[in-house]
Amino acid sequence: MAGKKSLHIESSGQLCIYCGACVGVCPLNCIYLDETRITFDERICTRCEICVKACPVGAIEID
Amino acid sequence: MVKDLTTDVLVIGAGPAGSMTAKWAAKSGARVVMIEKRQEIGSPVRCGEGMSKEWLKEVGVTPSSRWINVEVEGARIFSPSEKVLEINEKHAGNEVGYVVERDGFDKQLAIDAGNAGVDVMLKTAATGIVRENGRIVGVTAKAFGEPFTIRAAVTIGADGFESQVGRWAGLPTNLQLRDMDSCLQYRMTNVDCDVRYCDFYLGKVAPGGYVWVFPKGDGLANVGIGVQLSQIKSPAEARTYLDAWIAKHPAYAKGKKIDMVGGGVSICAPIKQTVTDGFMLVGDAARMIDPLTGGGIANGCIAGKICGEVAAKAVHAGDASKEFLQAYEKGWRVRLEEKLYRNWLAKEKLCSLSDETFDKVVDALEGVKLEKLTVHNILKAVHTKYPEVTREFEAFL
Ligand SMILES: Cc1cc2nc3c(=O)[nH]c(=O)nc-3n(C[C@H](O)[C@H](O)[C@H](O)COP(=O)(O)OP(=O)(O)OC[C@H]3O[C@@H](n4cnc5c(N)ncnc54)[C@H](O)[C@@H]3O)c2cc1C
Ligand code: SF4
Ligand code: SF4
Repeated sequence: MAGKKSLHIESSGQLCIYCGACVGVCPLNCIYLDETRITFDERICTRCEICVKACPVGAIEID
Repeated sequence: MVKDLTTDVLVIGAGPAGSMTAKWAAKSGARVVMIEKRQEIGSPVRCGEGMSKEWLKEVGVTPSSRWINVEVEGARIFSPSEKVLEINEKHAGNEVGYVVERDGFDKQLAIDAGNAGVDVMLKTAATGIVRENGRIVGVTAKAFGEPFTIRAAVTIGADGFESQVGRWAGLPTNLQLRDMDSCLQYRMTNVDCDVRYCDFYLGKVAPGGYVWVFPKGDGLANVGIGVQLSQIKSPAEARTYLDAWIAKHPAYAKGKKIDMVGGGVSICAPIKQTVTDGFMLVGDAARMIDPLTGGGIANGCIAGKICGEVAAKAVHAGDASKEFLQAYEKGWRVRLEEKLYRNWLAKEKLCSLSDETFDKVVDALEGVKLEKLTVHNILKAVHTKYPEVTREFEAFL
């Protein structure tokens, strides 16, 4: 989408510990966690960066 | 192919709140299905594993050595310069209690639910809400990846902090940055901690939250941190703060990490609404965590019992309207809301104290034998030593 920054969730397990903190805090409900799989709905996300703060290990990046 | 299902009561999530709700609905005569997206109930453990104990009886749980690690005598609060305030059983009454093996505890509650007649489905996740004529009549779900539908007279969201079910149902569960802590914890071995106390370190070591050390016996402890989101400046700060704290404390720096878990904890005031037509929300999903302590097991279970009983009554009455389900809304508020609100105010006040003031408060209390730990008694003790600190609280004295 033009002008939108890109959000990346490192969910392969190198950083992410599948804790769900980002899921619970996203105001638009656009992250979903199933055991060790994270799905993220790029279209709904407003890049508000709340999930970036919530993640205890820094697995979410916006640039 | 998984067959579509119909039941009286559907519980989504098999954490403490879900299992407790399911158990009491079944005991009260309803047919209950509880679905859990994980393959193993209680694991991974997202919890400091500390809990009070007096409420266990109320919800019908018998303490067992299968999940109790240690019974503590009290709690210790460490101010920023590590002055210590000791809160023993006499002061805190029933607030102090057990350090548990949380996975074992959650399994115990699920066993109790199963024994009460609840059908438990693992690897089964709710994927959406089903509505008919404006009311909720069940969910779409996936079991082992296969889609199917579960219809129920009453649907209950007990899906924890992550709760999506509550938001699908349109209930007001969104959190502001200040209303949430980002948490990280390790279980560590080879540490020197005192098994008589649960320890809490406050102030700049964990902005807006605290570092906890809960002893599990034999040199094992649950060591973790919560940091208020509004105070987080850069990514991964929960981990940075916790690792820095551990590095500064030789008794823990020599420890070895056995596992690591993260999670979110809500620290908000009670939310406005937890029921709608055909639907109730319970536990972390309903933001019932104590905003001062961050503990949510007890509240989830206490509300769960009320929720399960009301669900069964609604089934028997053939009425799951929002109006009928008010019995739950009122029931849990009568039991929990006042304390949740009071502790939320206390937490807001605590977060606003500077490290310096906080040191003075704890210093003034150090060595003072308080009969009972009330706000009034604390302020009186502080007033004697540092009158300037209590100026803004004069009204309480
Ligand atoms: C790091 C940390 C430390 C904590 N320390 C303490 C402590 O020391 N003491 C204390 O009392 N509390 C503590 N808490 C809070 C406590 O863990 C929670 O309050 C408690 O787990 C709430 O229980 P619950 O049943 O509401 O939710 P949960 O225990 O989170 O259970 C929810 C369940 O629902 C399942 N689920 C989620 N979505 C779906 C779906 N779509 N379909 C099916 N199933 C689903 C999840 O897999 C999970 O099993 C801590 C929390 C964290 C994060
Ligand atoms: S940036 Fe905001 S909207 Fe996007 S996933 Fe994170 S919390 Fe949700
Ligand atoms: S908050 Fe971070 S570690 Fe936790 S599930 Fe989200 S991306 Fe993974």
